[in-house]
Amino acid sequence: MRLISSSFEGRRRRTGLVLVAPALLVLLGVLAYPIAASLLLGFQDATIAGGGVTSEWVGLANYERMLGDPTFGIALRNSLYFTFVEVIAVIVISLAVALLLNQPSGRNGFFLVVLLVPWALAPVANAVLWKWIYNANYGILNTILLQLGVIDQKVIWLGDPFLALNMMLVADAWKAIPFITLLLLAGLQNVPSFLYRAARVDGAGAWARFRHVTLPGLRIPILVAIVLQSIWALKVFDLVFVLTKGGPMDGTVVLNFLAWRVTFNFLDLGYGAAIANVLFVIMFVLALIYVRTLDPERRRKRAGNA
Amino acid sequence: MTPRLRRRLSTWGVRFALLVFLVLMLGPIAWGVVTSLLPTSALTQTPPDLSLSNFSLDNYADVLVTRGNLPDALFDSAVVATLTASLSLVLGSAAAYALARLRVPGSNKILLAVLATQMFPGIVIAIPLFIVFSQLRLVDTYLALSMTYLSFTLVVVIWILKGFFESIPPQLERAAAVDGASTFQTFRLVVLPISLPALFAAGVFAFIEAWNEFFFAIILTRVDIKTAPIAIAEFSGQYQTLYGEMLAAAVLASIPVVLLAIIFRRFIVKGFVEGAVKG
Repeated sequence: MRLISSSFEGRRRRTGLVLVAPALLVLLGVLAYPIAASLLLGFQDATIAGGGVTSEWVGLANYERMLGDPTFGIALRNSLYFTFVEVIAVIVISLAVALLLNQPSGRNGFFLVVLLVPWALAPVANAVLWKWIYNANYGILNTILLQLGVIDQKVIWLGDPFLALNMMLVADAWKAIPFITLLLLAGLQNVPSFLYRAARVDGAGAWARFRHVTLPGLRIPILVAIVLQSIWALKVFDLVFVLTKGGPMDGTVVLNFLAWRVTFNFLDLGYGAAIANVLFVIMFVLALIYVRTLDPERRRKRAGNA
Repeated sequence: MTPRLRRRLSTWGVRFALLVFLVLMLGPIAWGVVTSLLPTSALTQTPPDLSLSNFSLDNYADVLVTRGNLPDALFDSAVVATLTASLSLVLGSAAAYALARLRVPGSNKILLAVLATQMFPGIVIAIPLFIVFSQLRLVDTYLALSMTYLSFTLVVVIWILKGFFESIPPQLERAAAVDGASTFQTFRLVVLPISLPALFAAGVFAFIEAWNEFFFAIILTRVDIKTAPIAIAEFSGQYQTLYGEMLAAAVLASIPVVLLAIIFRRFIVKGFVEGAVKG
């Protein structure tokens, strides 16, 4: 009996490897190989000339160059600012909306539709929409703020480096909030309702219930939201491309955009890859946090401790 | 204040706050749609001239017929998105079944490692892929674009389907094995047919991602192929932007994916949103 079942399992395992192999091969080709190649390219001076790539090894020269490159410094600062502020804004607003939607008087299937539309929109469609809203001469934002008396003359929203970066942040957050809201709402619905009833019986007010029941119950969803949103904010590209092309005065150049510009506009493949690799390392650390948060074994251990 | 009054106040407070949120979410979209229906002459007045007689489908006629660029772009996007979704499902369903059921050693670790790759910035793989596709003369082809898109759709498809396959009662497959079906036959004739909803959800996800993608598209296409996001972005790069036409193009390119998202909303939330937290 044992013999039969083990050969049955063995056959299934062999079939399993055959079924996994094609997907694995494709991922090796379009993920593993290019990542390895990019890491190597970072140590080369490479350019495209006459349809072919010419390259030579230069050791750490690309990374040394980065230290003295003011544009890289600006891009790094912009990326970190953009990511840090967007993550906080998106998480706080999404949490507030998710809490409202979780109220008995706030539950409404219509909101699911409303939340999915900005999520499904192409980032480029979102970008041209906001480019039009922000338009200095005819944009609706200036029109509304003028009518309300908030401003007394038209503002060139994308004309000042720091203001442009913040306006880009608003447009990106607008598109990101719906998904994070759905994610936190799913988390809220997993908090057992008897905990709330118990807290109420013990005389806990609304704030105490939020602080001691809701927040602890949302720990993992909030951590996941922070990591995912950081990754998405670090990846922002389409908005920069459409809204500002990195300007004014490199005020909206972020790492992702700089790596693209250096590679495909200046054809400096090695330096572009080196910048991409720096971004890669930052995001790899974030990815590691995400994966460890979701690892079932660690979860069980944490639950055991609690 | 009586408790009843307080409850009623908080009910209205919740509704009011949600209404504000609703306006902030739908307002920009509504303004985009209105813009796409107005001529430039009405849009360049302050405040814009919203009289009913100005509304027309002229911008849509312009981008679809007169300028003639967008229909080709929508077609290219449809081809690339369909190809990506099909390849993701064929490769992904087989791999997901193996990982869910067939005891591939270390499958959980493999999957978590692969999941981590989803967070890499596109630029890291874009530069080497561009070099390879240039050497293979595949730049500007549907195949190169779809293969590249597999780098971020395939893993998520495997993730969604693996969760679904694990929820199928194993007795079904054991019964098929007793009847003499091979493992592969069981997968094809028993497992896949009852997994249609999950396959649809995963396919829709891959389709939307590929349809909307812009970053790889500008790097890996030149003249022969132009996807819809590129066509839209070109409007904004012109010296004098035709906002009505630009928004009409954006609305047309958004309709398919927004409809898909609304139709499949339950699947998306179950398989994708909750999956992201569940792990």
